[in-house]
Amino acid sequence: MTVVVDSAIDPIRFEILAHRLWAIGEEGRIALQRVTASPIVAQGGECMCSFYDADGNMILACSGHLRFAAATSDAIKRLIEWFDDEPGINEGDEFILNDPYVAGSHTYDIMQIAPIFWEGKRVAWVASSSHTADTGGVLRGAATEIYHEGIRLLGLKIVEAGAFREDVFKTITEQCRDPEYVGMDIRSRTAANNVCRAGYLELLTRFGADFVEAAGRRLIEDSSRMAREKLTAIPNGTWRSRIYGTYRDPMTRRAMPYQVLCAATKAGDQLTLDFTGSSGQLENDQNSTLPSTMAHIMIALTNRLFWDLPWSDGKMDPVRVIMPERSVLNCTFPAACGRSPRVGQYVVEAVSQCVSSMLFAAGEREDINAGWGSFWYLGGPGYFYGGHNAQGLPNPQGLYDTHGGGLGATPLRDGVPSGGQQNIPSGGISDIERIELQYPFLYLSRSHNIDGGGPGAHTGGAGTQRLLIAYGSQDLTVDFTPYGGLPHGAWGLFGGHPTGTGGTRSLLAPAADVSGRLGRGDYPVTADEAVASGWAELTVPAGNPGRIPVAEGSLLADFTQGGGGYGDPLERAEASVVEDLRNGLVSVEQAGRIFGVVVDGSRTLDPTATAQRREEIRLLRVNGARTVAPAHGDSEWATRVRFHEYLEAGAYGSGRDVIRCVECGTVVCDATQNYKQHVVRRELSLGELAGRRLPGDGEYIGALVEYACPTCAVLLAADISCPEVSGEDDLWDIQLVS
Amino acid sequence: MTGEVRYTIGIDIGGTFTDLTMVTEQGITQSTKAPTTPDDFSIGVMDALAEAAGINGITLDELVRRTDVLKNGSTVATNALLTREGTRVGLITTRGFEDTVFIMRAVGRVDGLPAEEVRRIAYVDKPQPLLPRDRVMGVHERIDCQGRVVVPVNIEDIAAAIERLVEIEGVDSIAVSFLHAWRNPDHEHVVRRMIDERYGDRNIFVSLSSDLSREAGEYARTNTAVANAFVGPAVHRYLGRLSERLSLLGFSGRLLVMQGNGGLASIDHAAPISTLQSGPAGGMFGAALMSEAMGHRVVVTADMGGTSFDVGILSDGVWKYADEPIFARLRMLQPIIDIRSIGAGGGTIARIDPITTRMSVGPQSAGAQPGPACYDAGGTEPTVTDCNLVLGYLDPDFFLGGRKSLSVERAEQAIRANLAEPLGLSVLESAAGVFDIINSKMSDLIRREVVRNGEVPAECVLYAFGGAGAIHATSWARELGMSQIVIANTSPVFSAHGIAMSDFLRTRLATLTYVAPFDPAQLNRDLDTLEDDLAMELAKDGFNGTPVFKRYVTMHFLRQTTGEEMPLPWDRFDGKAARGVEDLYVEHYRRLYGAGAAYEKSGLAMSRIRVDAVGAIDRRAAEQSSVPTILDEARHGSRRAYFDGDLLDTVVYRKDRVPAGSTIAGPAILESELTTIVVAPGTSAEIDALGNVVVTV
Repeated sequence: MTVVVDSAIDPIRFEILAHRLWAIGEEGRIALQRVTASPIVAQGGECMCSFYDADGNMILACSGHLRFAAATSDAIKRLIEWFDDEPGINEGDEFILNDPYVAGSHTYDIMQIAPIFWEGKRVAWVASSSHTADTGGVLRGAATEIYHEGIRLLGLKIVEAGAFREDVFKTITEQCRDPEYVGMDIRSRTAANNVCRAGYLELLTRFGADFVEAAGRRLIEDSSRMAREKLTAIPNGTWRSRIYGTYRDPMTRRAMPYQVLCAATKAGDQLTLDFTGSSGQLENDQNSTLPSTMAHIMIALTNRLFWDLPWSDGKMDPVRVIMPERSVLNCTFPAACGRSPRVGQYVVEAVSQCVSSMLFAAGEREDINAGWGSFWYLGGPGYFYGGHNAQGLPNPQGLYDTHGGGLGATPLRDGVPSGGQQNIPSGGISDIERIELQYPFLYLSRSHNIDGGGPGAHTGGAGTQRLLIAYGSQDLTVDFTPYGGLPHGAWGLFGGHPTGTGGTRSLLAPAADVSGRLGRGDYPVTADEAVASGWAELTVPAGNPGRIPVAEGSLLADFTQGGGGYGDPLERAEASVVEDLRNGLVSVEQAGRIFGVVVDGSRTLDPTATAQRREEIRLLRVNGARTVAPAHGDSEWATRVRFHEYLEAGAYGSGRDVIRCVECGTVVCDATQNYKQHVVRRELSLGELAGRRLPGDGEYIGALVEYACPTCAVLLAADISCPEVSGEDDLWDIQLVS
Repeated sequence: MTGEVRYTIGIDIGGTFTDLTMVTEQGITQSTKAPTTPDDFSIGVMDALAEAAGINGITLDELVRRTDVLKNGSTVATNALLTREGTRVGLITTRGFEDTVFIMRAVGRVDGLPAEEVRRIAYVDKPQPLLPRDRVMGVHERIDCQGRVVVPVNIEDIAAAIERLVEIEGVDSIAVSFLHAWRNPDHEHVVRRMIDERYGDRNIFVSLSSDLSREAGEYARTNTAVANAFVGPAVHRYLGRLSERLSLLGFSGRLLVMQGNGGLASIDHAAPISTLQSGPAGGMFGAALMSEAMGHRVVVTADMGGTSFDVGILSDGVWKYADEPIFARLRMLQPIIDIRSIGAGGGTIARIDPITTRMSVGPQSAGAQPGPACYDAGGTEPTVTDCNLVLGYLDPDFFLGGRKSLSVERAEQAIRANLAEPLGLSVLESAAGVFDIINSKMSDLIRREVVRNGEVPAECVLYAFGGAGAIHATSWARELGMSQIVIANTSPVFSAHGIAMSDFLRTRLATLTYVAPFDPAQLNRDLDTLEDDLAMELAKDGFNGTPVFKRYVTMHFLRQTTGEEMPLPWDRFDGKAARGVEDLYVEHYRRLYGAGAAYEKSGLAMSRIRVDAVGAIDRRAAEQSSVPTILDEARHGSRRAYFDGDLLDTVVYRKDRVPAGSTIAGPAILESELTTIVVAPGTSAEIDALGNVVVTV
């Protein structure tokens, strides 16, 4: 083994220090999670403790919500710039900050940041951050300027020279609707910082300030070096992805599409992410500030590519980002940005898609997942509640079942059903018994969502669906979005389908005598069942309001995203489809229509009908006629790069580089061309794909575009397309460099 | 009376060995081991009993006849879960919630995995469930969080579900878990009654979630019911066989099982799932007894074996139960002593990252196969054991009492090629580095557990056990500022010993939803109910004395979602205590999180009550059976061992021959068949009358 040793720093002491630092951050996070009042923090893990050098460069982030760690570097740099001279940054101070134009994603991301002094000199910073879903302001969804989004703190001292500032505390908490809740969260972050600061001071005592500083530099350098190494192993080229979102026109409340466009160019040990072409900033709160977008880019790269690197700033060294001004990813002050995490999710998905495809070209298989799901429900009630519960306490606002969405399929297996949320690798959802102790709900079901995962040779993991009754509240309200939009859920990979049409959130008004029917043992477990059995009927509030009251006894139907599929659904083993049928993950209808698997009444496979159905679907893909691939004489094929499950680049003998189908050997085009423009293209209606109409007058925007090999009809790509936003194009997703 | 000697026997079935400790009425203690026999664990137990009989020069029959109580800890339940080789189980649950055990609250995907693996998000998958989806039956019924029936339970649904599970699915075992059964178990009882009525003759094992836990949280509670049903028949089979083998030999004493809560129950009334982690729980009970005898207020138990490092905390002799402990990657709701583990032990591998040149120690382990390089069984990567050998702490010819010889050469080779040469260090320096890094990681875990319990590391006494614990303990103590380490004489069989000494213990934890000001009458009614239940369970177990109750409450500030547990100083509440408990909690909270963290204005709530009911079994304090007198006779040569950058001549003692009351100054090594105690320079070891070694750091 030949390695070059960095002799500047004792490797053993360094290792001990690195582990110790991580352990201190974990102790801090444990303190924060136990003191907090936010269920999303305590149980969902939306928090973070992290350490920074004297200038604000991140040395190490611990487990928790990655977004916070990435954001805080910028915040510290600004604090130094703004306040170092006046009023000064002193020992025992702790700043509170939540301006998303400085750091964080929206005003609910609150950071508390404390400098660490050693022998009178500022040597480091520690930050503890978490999500507190109340900053006063107008209720969620209604903001059009950041001024509507509640109190915005640009660095107030909540602790000064070691003394907790009750005046600041009172002023902040009383701007909010739920001062106790906000107050508890502030205290939880202070508690975490106390733990982290004490631990860090012990490190300084034990190792000496010079060593600790050198070790911090080393952590950043290591991360940078490992990032470059990973990038070097990937073939050069450009990968492109597009994720569509939907917003409401503030005047008409009509559903309007927009896009996040990402081009990832890998050259040598460098990666450039260019978001040019992404839509312009919106007139509502669905915008991402630049710090938020950068944080989400880091989440995607950390999860998908750099997962085994130290969580420090160094890994972003080889990454260059090009971001258009006044775009939905880089909004201009004072644009509102309350729903910035949603836009951020699109950024995560766009970057992840490029990275997954890059990893495939690099020959990596184990770390590829199709999409994990964006926020994609197309209207209906949301999950931010108002009002009071049966004990008369304010309802804890959000209910985050979205943290239990399905995961993308992989080249080696199906996606994990109800597996998690990409931003918080160790998060989860709450027990229903615990939810009912806090919220005015009675759940009738929480189950895996049928047809909720993206179809593919390997299917995406299903999300969940829930049906609940408003139970024990006099004044329950929930945010509401009109129906309609572009259902771009988790993206599929290499012919795997995206998800996005797998459910509807809705409010259902019960027929009379709810408690009587319940008492007779009659209750539905899905919205479809509720409607079909006459238990309740779907209602769409008139006038497209932003918030709606939920009367006692009303039903709320709710679902979470599934993961994208991997590979052609017709390549899925028949037995696997039958098993999915039995497990309630796939309907008979979808089994036949998308997987081409036909079963009889007892859900037993009909092999003959299945073979026939699959052939029918293949013929449909190639418009009824397969072409015959030309022969290539005796020249031997040499693969240069297998960049796609079904496509590879290479050459016959000494011929020019071409792309050919791995399945049937058909040459599709030159290696320097966009393969999508040389195969068979077919457009499908999304309404048809969904198999259900949207409530009210809501309509799906966009279409599913399939690309299939003209000879063997294997499905190469299943893209969502919306010419209204993107023009007519076949997104060149993999552009190799010869 | 000069009657024959009578015995109490403790058994701990571990992965490799079945340990046995026997205690006479006079407190004389003897221990032995026999290989574990996974195909039928009762054979290994009988082998250990035969060994024990041999030591005493009596026949196995005689030993069995003279045994009053046989207390048994086992890994039968853990094994069945880990290998997923349990019985064919079905689940009956509330209609609409059939997927609960598959959704796993999403967090099931990462539960039980080390942080390093959690980060690899595209790779990590959920664990294999204990049953397939089509053996889960939904039944129309619903109870709300206050325990009110919203939907009455549908009898036809139950009948159909039972019939399908038994007749078509062919299950041997049925778990029942309904929403909010923790508060109102009536519907679950209906199902049990109907199974009894219809299939009473089929010997179907029935497991109700409300019997196993009275806490809110349907995912973990349902898992517990399913896991109990899954392992139940296997545990019963094992206990049945053991009981039969003992009866054939004329056993007329009591056969009791150790539970993960740290105490005993009768074999007929213990929930099979309660035996999870019974071995380590025995160790904790032993540690609690020792801490009481030695007057140690806060104790850290640290057990370092081949692959894992387990840490437990005792404050004033009291342990905590884990919130939703995870076994075989599944969350449970059971009172199981909170013992935290990381994958670090003798087999842990040290590597250099080729890109950053960072040295990582763990989490990869060489396991038992191929094992450390020095086992000379094909392992080429350096492990912690290899480093301990090279550093002179282990004797190559006296490992496991000489049963396995170690190759110093292989160890050196592995360290040189993989660590020393790439780092430009000597073999010794590299080995010392590995030793320091693993110790630092272990210290970090100990510190976290101590701090989490609101204690200060420097005030703790460290109890070290496990094969390698006493080699490393001084480093942990120094790192954490602890001044005293205890290595029990019974350390090699610490769990079996603890089990032999333990009492009946029944535990109940129940979710509450009270907001201050608390109603003393209500709290007293809750205590009455729990204590009556527990007293009844103890009576069923065969305990006919007066139970001792220990009471705890978990409280939180009103808007918080998690709380902290503290002992109650009162038997019952009066008006003053109902107010006083608030002040007690604020004080407790400040100790845990520091001044400023408590936000009293928000108000307090009580979310859980815990009662431990102890049924004490008579025991004598342990006594040493034979006492050597001359220290020099214990000397067994010397060897060079590495301390603070130098190889020092280090005297080696055979620990069993060291007389009580001796003080040995470091550097020295005390060896026995299964334990090596390294006494570093600047520290000293004292051997007490019971053969315990106390190292002063």
